[in-house]
Amino acid sequence: MNQTVTINISGIVFHIDVDAYEALKKYLNKIKSYFKNSEESEEIMMDIEARIAELFSEKITSENQVIQAKDVAEVIVIMGKPEQYVDEDEAQDEHPKEDDSSSKKSSSSSSKKIFRDPDDRMIGGVSSGLAAYFGVQSLWLRLFFVVAFFVGFGFLLYIVLWMVMPEAKTASDKLKMRGEAVNIDNIGKTFKDEADKMSENFRKNGKHYGRKAEATIESLFNFLGQLLTGLFKVLGKVFGVVFLLVGTFLLVGLLGMLIGSETIFSITTDGVFSITSQEFFNLIFISEDQFHIAIIGVAIAIGLPIIMLIYAGANLLFKVKTYAGVSIGLFVLWVIGVFMCAMIGIRMGAELSEYEMVTIEEVVTNDANDFYISASQSENPGEGILEGKYSSISLDKDSIYMNDVRLSIYKSKTDSMEIKLVKDANGKSRKDAANHAKMIRFNYSVLDSTITFSNYFSFPKENKIRGQEVEVNLYLPVGKSIYLDQSLKHIIHNVANVTDTWDPHMLGKKWVMLEEGLSCLDCDEIEGVTTLQLDSIRKYVPEIRTEK
Amino acid sequence: MKIENTKAQMRKGVLEYCILSILKNGEAYPSEIIEKLKTGKLIVVEGTLYPLLTRLKNAGLLSYRWEESKSGPPRKYYQLTKIGSEFLKELETTWNDLVKAVSITSK
Repeated sequence: MNQTVTINISGIVFHIDVDAYEALKKYLNKIKSYFKNSEESEEIMMDIEARIAELFSEKITSENQVIQAKDVAEVIVIMGKPEQYVDEDEAQDEHPKEDDSSSKKSSSSSSKKIFRDPDDRMIGGVSSGLAAYFGVQSLWLRLFFVVAFFVGFGFLLYIVLWMVMPEAKTASDKLKMRGEAVNIDNIGKTFKDEADKMSENFRKNGKHYGRKAEATIESLFNFLGQLLTGLFKVLGKVFGVVFLLVGTFLLVGLLGMLIGSETIFSITTDGVFSITSQEFFNLIFISEDQFHIAIIGVAIAIGLPIIMLIYAGANLLFKVKTYAGVSIGLFVLWVIGVFMCAMIGIRMGAELSEYEMVTIEEVVTNDANDFYISASQSENPGEGILEGKYSSISLDKDSIYMNDVRLSIYKSKTDSMEIKLVKDANGKSRKDAANHAKMIRFNYSVLDSTITFSNYFSFPKENKIRGQEVEVNLYLPVGKSIYLDQSLKHIIHNVANVTDTWDPHMLGKKWVMLEEGLSCLDCDEIEGVTTLQLDSIRKYVPEIRTEK
Repeated sequence: MKIENTKAQMRKGVLEYCILSILKNGEAYPSEIIEKLKTGKLIVVEGTLYPLLTRLKNAGLLSYRWEESKSGPPRKYYQLTKIGSEFLKELETTWNDLVKAVSITSK
């Protein structure tokens, strides 16, 4: 029983015995090596292959469907060995002489290479080419690409591979495309070849060393050579696969973010993003132009390095062709992308350059001595786009809602409770900033002795996000007390008190304003107060204990 | 001096002339050209012809067109170009001169 392989010569498919195939491969490679320096070599190769296909076709009969070694030998006799006829041809003076080095060259150039297979293709022949390279059925690769297409990255990967994989044009290309199957045997053979080459070099260069030293060092070099080439080859492939996969996913992610219609990112450490890029950029940029420049800039500045990563991966894996000049072009394009980003950055800087605030004061006309201070617990209206511990942003049809509300408590200079709201924002001019600040809407309610602050403020969408903030300053007269509800935990901010209690620990307690400052009334134990302060506090809470 | 070398030299000189002469009577594809050249024992192996045809084509003496074949791959049908025809005329004159020269000298 003979093993046969299927080959395609000039568009005709032949079944050929393995030994005949090897002989044919060797023959074609030899011819090719003779014409290596000639510009016409490809055309000549194609003509010769066409003739070989014609001769093979004549050999095929209904009884004999397979090309055998004797058929190949006959064809070689008819066609002639290259040294027979290239000698007759003056133009090909400078062909290499048939010696050891040239046969070695041709055998190493006959090692497996990756090509697109034009004869067995659905789209670009990428799958069948890869299948031939890996020695599997093309069906599996096609299945992979179909699945990958629906997962999302298949299309791009296919296009990239289509670009970088050359088409197998001549039969010798096609033979290289199939090459020898990658298996343990010929991996070992590759190592051995490399080692032989090294020892040969060594022998040439080191003739003057003693034979004994030569033998020892030679075997050492053999071993090291095997080890290193093996290691580098494996590492190269591993990096290639990693680059290719990571790059493809990043590219899909980036494009999805920039032009996709679905959620762009979800970061879960402190906040959650769930917004399309379109919406996100709309919150920041004034004009469509700015928005588009930003998108294109980001796509180029980030996308190009990712594409280069994919390309490097493909190169490590398959040794794809490289185009001179393309890299310079890509670099220039990348610089332009970065420049676009920088331009937008500068424009944004200008948009935020000025700062202005608007202050609103209200005197609470209530004679009560004890006040209850709380914050509304409602969630921001609209659809949340950023949810953080201290800062959340949400949107509805025409407003942006933010949580940057800060509550501070000071001593009042008068006898009545005062609430001072400071709304501030940035803008390209002071007037612009003041307009932004004025547009901020913030609510609180005073009901008897209960004051409730909203935990968010809002402003119209067309104002864009321009560093809007609301500061709530509560002025408490001396002698009056307040209860700070737990609901204030997100807005309470740097409230000075005589015991230097940390803001979150001030909640859920009653505080009184003394001449000295805010003091705790119902703390079980208080520290760091002077006797004078303690006396003042005892007016309100006679039973207070202090550590003694 | 080897007799084989001298023979090869002489054959090579007339090979181009013969190819152009074959095409004078109309277009032909390589196998047909090879048949005629083999009959005249001008070439031994077929591989000789292909680099030669490509070179003549690139020199503008020949042009070709593709034609589908029932029994094999598509064939290149070569034909003489205008330059090729003129080139051939000159070669014919030279050839006649050579024949004369040979017949005079070998008398």
